[in-house]
Amino acid sequence: MSTILAHQLTQRFGPDLALDAVDLVLDKGEHLAVLGENGAGKTTLLRILATAARPSSGQLELFGLNAMRERRRLRALIGFVAHAPGLYPALSAAENLEFFGSLHGVGRARVAETLELVGLADVANRPAGRLSRGEQQRLAIGRAVLHDPRLLILDEPDASLDSGGADLLARVMHGRSAVLATHDHALANRLCQRTEVLRSGRSLGAGTRLRVVQ
Amino acid sequence: MTRSVEVAFAVARKDLTSEWRTRELVPALGQFVVLALVIANFGFQIDSQNAATIAPGVLWLALVFAGLVAFGRAFAAEREQASLEAMLLTPASPVAIFAGKALAAALLLIACEVVLLPALALLFGTPLNVALVAAVLLATVGMAALGCLFAAMVARVRAREVLLPLLTLPLWIPFIIAGGQAVQVAMGASGSYNQAVALLIDFDILFVVLTSLAARFVLDD
Amino acid sequence: MTKTYERLTAVAVLLMLLAAGMIFLYAPEDYLQKEPQRIFYLHVSAAIAAFACFLAVLVGSVIYLRTENARADRLARAAALVGVVLTTVTLVMGMLYAKPIWGTFWTWDARLTSTLVLWIIYAGYLLLRRLAEPGPQVARYAAVAGIFGFVDVPIVYFSVTWWRTVHPGPVIVTNALPPEMLITFLVTMACTLFLAAVMVGIRYRIETLLDEAPSGAEATIRGTQREPELAR
Repeated sequence: MSTILAHQLTQRFGPDLALDAVDLVLDKGEHLAVLGENGAGKTTLLRILATAARPSSGQLELFGLNAMRERRRLRALIGFVAHAPGLYPALSAAENLEFFGSLHGVGRARVAETLELVGLADVANRPAGRLSRGEQQRLAIGRAVLHDPRLLILDEPDASLDSGGADLLARVMHGRSAVLATHDHALANRLCQRTEVLRSGRSLGAGTRLRVVQ
Repeated sequence: MTRSVEVAFAVARKDLTSEWRTRELVPALGQFVVLALVIANFGFQIDSQNAATIAPGVLWLALVFAGLVAFGRAFAAEREQASLEAMLLTPASPVAIFAGKALAAALLLIACEVVLLPALALLFGTPLNVALVAAVLLATVGMAALGCLFAAMVARVRAREVLLPLLTLPLWIPFIIAGGQAVQVAMGASGSYNQAVALLIDFDILFVVLTSLAARFVLDD
Repeated sequence: MTKTYERLTAVAVLLMLLAAGMIFLYAPEDYLQKEPQRIFYLHVSAAIAAFACFLAVLVGSVIYLRTENARADRLARAAALVGVVLTTVTLVMGMLYAKPIWGTFWTWDARLTSTLVLWIIYAGYLLLRRLAEPGPQVARYAAVAGIFGFVDVPIVYFSVTWWRTVHPGPVIVTNALPPEMLITFLVTMACTLFLAAVMVGIRYRIETLLDEAPSGAEATIRGTQREPELAR
């Protein structure tokens, strides 16, 4: 059973075609990098895979379940880091995680563990609004792995991360299936076994590490 | 079921904590309703004779517009921070999340009523009694349910500041009719208070049930 | 396809002319209200046709929420537009009728108030559809608004009745109309319902074409340029 099995995913926004018949397969434990220019459809594809958006047409199976019908069950298995961090600025880092933990039904012990994992234990009590951009991104990554998901979807998580960012990503992706959208080919090579290149909503085909490097 | 109740309370507590720390909304709403009373005074030439007939109308106008701001803000803030989506991408029930948002927004509006009702009594010389407070609170319940449902809807639409009142106000009319009647009686007019309050309770039950059925379609996508 | 719609439209226009003929030539003059009473036939017919349209919006909305069927949504869209037009007709004719009979264009009784609220609700519904991005999301939002609107109107009506009322009660069911008037009324109502059905059918066809139109065609068909993304 594949973790992701996507067939002919298409997304229209009014007259614009954001995603044009993209096929995708991801096996258990595999890491896939999605590369492409801005506006190539990376975010659209990742939002559909994370069950945050419904495609206009096409089929999607996640963990063997129909992604259109079993959304709530799947959301317990997926962690999503979106473009915007989506945090509450008035709540502290720990309170943010505690709140999302209560929606997932996970306890406080896990919150402390996660803060440690993303390197925010020192600023746990600082309001999220006063964290630096990079720290906010770490917190958003922490929220995505709070419930120990089996699949991690990361939309340009490196955009505002500092030098230790790649190590952090390697840590959270370890032992999980993952889809990572990025501009950074070197990062993609380091973290992922496979790549998928998008241009104007179309798939330019999958590659192994070597082909993309050349 | 208990999970849903926990989720709803967690969402409400999160909203109230945020508001308590930033004090963004309630002070502004309190000042807004006092201003509404001042403007009504100039618009109506209020004196001790006509105050009792005009005051109920002023109360509902101020409350309705304060409510639109409070409910609109409840979801606009989530949208600006992109946190609504983060909440919905958990296995928590969208209906429970909606109930938590509505509960917090209703409590913020009640905080604003704590300013409005005494100010009205003080400036217009109208009575402030349990009957009046009960009627206003009962109307707040149903108005919060409806207001939050449409606020959640327009949060993802263009021109939401215009659309929210257009969609919400007509649906609030039954509450304003029954609540208006109850408040008039509480302020000394003749009529049946019990019947008006019974009607308010009926509307509350009806619209709370309907909005919780509809919340799933508005929040999940 | 177009031919069928042209024929149906022609039939509807002829039927409305027949109704007009009956209203002015066949129906007797009312003893008390004189000539203005002739407004009654179209006024009530338009109201009933508008109600039928909003019933179609309700049915379309409920079916859409259950099945996500795009055709149900199109029916709701088409019926809402025609319903708003017919409600406008009802309100304007009602005001013209009220002036000579009641001596005022407007009074806040239950039927007038709830009809006005009805108009506001569905005008808001159309605005919601225009301002939201096209797609399944707005269809679901509109369906919820359509259902709430339909539920709210009887409640507003009931609330105002409980509050106060002066509008005449239903005269048709109580056999108060003389036979010529009743026949004229029934013919007018049938013709208006047919006209409404034809208008909904045409609008449904337009909505279908808009939905199936390729990229950019919508702007051409509507004659408007879509706003650039940044302006939203």
